[in-house]
Amino acid sequence: MPSYNIKVNGKSLSVEAEANTPLLWILRDELKMKGTKFGCGIGQCGACTVHLNGNAARSCSLPISSISNADIVTIEGLSEDGSHPVQVAWMEENVPQCGYCQAGQMMSASAFLSKVENPSEEDVHQWMSGNICRCGTYPRIKKAIFRAAKKGVTE
Amino acid sequence: MKEQLTTSRRGFLKLTGIAGGGLMLGFNLTGCDTLPENPDFRDLEINAFILINGDGTVTIKAKNPDIGQGVKTSLPMILAEELDIPWKMVTVEQAELDSRLGSQFAGGSTGVKTNYENLRKAGAAVRDVIVRAAADQWGVQPLDCKTEDGFVTHGSKRLHYGHLAEAAAQLELNEDPPLKDPKTFNIIGKSRPDVDLKKIVTGEALYGIDQEIDGMVYATVLKPQVFGSKLANIEDSEAKAVPGVIDIFEISQGDNPGNGLGGVAIVAENQWAAFKAKGLVKAEWNSPKGFISSNERLRRALDRGASSKGTVLKDEGNVGNAFRNSDEVIEAKYHVPFISHSQMEPMNFIADVQKDKVLLIGPTQTPGSAAASASNITGVPREQVQMKFTRIGGGFGRRLLNDYANEAVLISQKVERPVKLVWTREADFLADYYRPAGAYHFKAALTGKNLEAMEVNICTTSRYLYRQSTPAHGTEAFPDQQPAGMIPNFKVTYSPLKSNIPVGALRTPGVNATTYAYQGFMDELAEKVGMDPIEFQLGLIGTEDKDMPYEDHGGPTYNTVRLRNVIELVREKANWGGGKSQGFAAQMIFGSYVACIVDASLVDGKVKVDKVNVAVDCGRVINPIGANAQVQGGITDAISAALYESLELRDGAPIGQNFDRYEKLRITDSPEVDVHFVASEESPQGLGEPSYPILFPALTNAVYQVTGQRIRELPLKKHNLV
Repeated sequence: MPSYNIKVNGKSLSVEAEANTPLLWILRDELKMKGTKFGCGIGQCGACTVHLNGNAARSCSLPISSISNADIVTIEGLSEDGSHPVQVAWMEENVPQCGYCQAGQMMSASAFLSKVENPSEEDVHQWMSGNICRCGTYPRIKKAIFRAAKKGVTE
Repeated sequence: MKEQLTTSRRGFLKLTGIAGGGLMLGFNLTGCDTLPENPDFRDLEINAFILINGDGTVTIKAKNPDIGQGVKTSLPMILAEELDIPWKMVTVEQAELDSRLGSQFAGGSTGVKTNYENLRKAGAAVRDVIVRAAADQWGVQPLDCKTEDGFVTHGSKRLHYGHLAEAAAQLELNEDPPLKDPKTFNIIGKSRPDVDLKKIVTGEALYGIDQEIDGMVYATVLKPQVFGSKLANIEDSEAKAVPGVIDIFEISQGDNPGNGLGGVAIVAENQWAAFKAKGLVKAEWNSPKGFISSNERLRRALDRGASSKGTVLKDEGNVGNAFRNSDEVIEAKYHVPFISHSQMEPMNFIADVQKDKVLLIGPTQTPGSAAASASNITGVPREQVQMKFTRIGGGFGRRLLNDYANEAVLISQKVERPVKLVWTREADFLADYYRPAGAYHFKAALTGKNLEAMEVNICTTSRYLYRQSTPAHGTEAFPDQQPAGMIPNFKVTYSPLKSNIPVGALRTPGVNATTYAYQGFMDELAEKVGMDPIEFQLGLIGTEDKDMPYEDHGGPTYNTVRLRNVIELVREKANWGGGKSQGFAAQMIFGSYVACIVDASLVDGKVKVDKVNVAVDCGRVINPIGANAQVQGGITDAISAALYESLELRDGAPIGQNFDRYEKLRITDSPEVDVHFVASEESPQGLGEPSYPILFPALTNAVYQVTGQRIRELPLKKHNLV
């Protein structure tokens, strides 16, 4: 099996995998980082969202061979202790219900807010429409995004 | 669905000291929900545990599976309240399946309502025995002692619960302990964030799919395209060549679709290899005889069923006479499609089958049934089956059935290794137990403004056709549903339709369809008689304080004043009649009273849901922040189904096999949802489900105001309105 050097949450790692193995399964099964979730496998639900060089990316559809030296950040690396403004806002608005989609939601929101300073509702719709929440937490996700935006989000 | 709640006081508390100076309470509470899909849960005991640690902190076991409905927080809150300790001293731990714990179950919105009184008593009994231990030590009367912040006090004397645990363990428990005056509650009724909130936002919360055990291999299952097909031939040489693939074989659980639908198992050294190989398996299937090939055929079959005279569920007065003698007869036909559960966490389960024992780990709403099934499949005695359940990425009724858990057991048995089974999203759509499809034919007789008679003929693809525990109309048609009892002549008939599409319980089974149809038709009748829809329904409900009989889940009665109150509350909050295009609906659902007003508009020919107001009387609210989330979530979930969702068939196969072709609501179309609770001291009811059904008619009634079009068939997408 080929070997790949990747950088996850600031750490350089070497993994062995078939070339077309999606990053999602490397994170979950090789690196035992379970925060990034499997939802659909075709990049439609956003549960597997990570940051790739600061941009939201669907790790279920990213072959390990395509990543090379990109900086990957997962929910585990968003902050040391849950103190990222998006995580704090998520807690303050009591966003999650089952919680399964929320890591992906927060990874999309944090990438988006690092690029758009004072988002409009349309911005939220545009940047967040790739993430499905089956429990229906969207009203609180919206509130949490505006709350986090007020505090300011950098990468 | 009948609800029975019987509580035996005798012997409900047992107290033992444990190593390390703590105090462990086990309480046995007879009486539990008797949801018919879980016959093995009937009349079992309910138990839970409180652990008072030497340092005075308290560990409370969360007894039931948490599928996002928040019982891992709300049930321990009830215990902590009567124990009279600060919430910050409490650590909540998920219990595993334990015969001493009895019914551990998530369904029917029953968690809070069936546990409330018993958990209060259990908490109070521990507080009582700790107070007596302190009183003994001080030589004073227990009645003169107080509890506060985890201490027992008497004058200037103070002792921490933790210091009293051992002495308390020597005393007899009071089987009928004094309960708090609800006016003094300081945990119940105050918002507490989910106990797992921090773990969820940091990615540390572990779901079933995140579990691992030593030496496990990974599996997935290929499902046929047409529901109920049997494997004819399999060509797997290419699949077997995928590096890491261990084995490929057929699995079957017999002919009853309630047990599982069969398929081809692929076992590999890692999950990705199993998924990749699945795509390379070439399987030929024999479709079942008479399978439903298209939605048009399904609709015709349902209409034939609803037109015929089915089983008479209710026949009051004489509808035939009323139809002949009235001024006008109104008819309308409503339809609902099969819809998918599509819970976000894909189906998964871990099984380790050994000769004399079985370990199960996974997300299930019915862990007891999963363990019983594993015992049946393997022949390993039930006591030797260990079942650990996890935080669950959504249930909605899908995980009441353990077909996927059974598959993990079968696969582990075959490969003789521990196995983690994970389905692909496609498998989930190909082997879901869909919300039944149905037709609802209404006929009403009007004389002047009076509604003289109503007849409803219902046909659905009943889930009880392959489960004999309940008559076919159970959770499909509800003879006492409002406006039954409010109209002099009233008749309801039901006919089941056999189909190859597997069906199961989905968030308010049956009620989510009948509420849409009934409340939609009531809106039509209000218009016919030229009345405001709210005034029309209030007129039927009347001003008298009455308990209407209701023999289904949420009964045995519902109260007209409580129904009226939520209607009046939502009318005020939504500024009804203030010039916006609005739709209204209200009903008692699973014991809670809900009234909803939807504001809608038309943008570029498409319906936009602008705002939803919903008023709820669920009795006493345990955790307001969680309750608000459940109601908002139920409404938002229903908007998804109302706008987009339907199992569409082509040659018998679902067209939508993932979220690209089976659309779900996204944030773009999700409106603000304002929830208004009626302050109530009535006994608490569940909240995971009641708001879901009420949105459908409130929304379609609003759509009528916007477009002039009656939406008698869901979803709106079918009408080109989204």
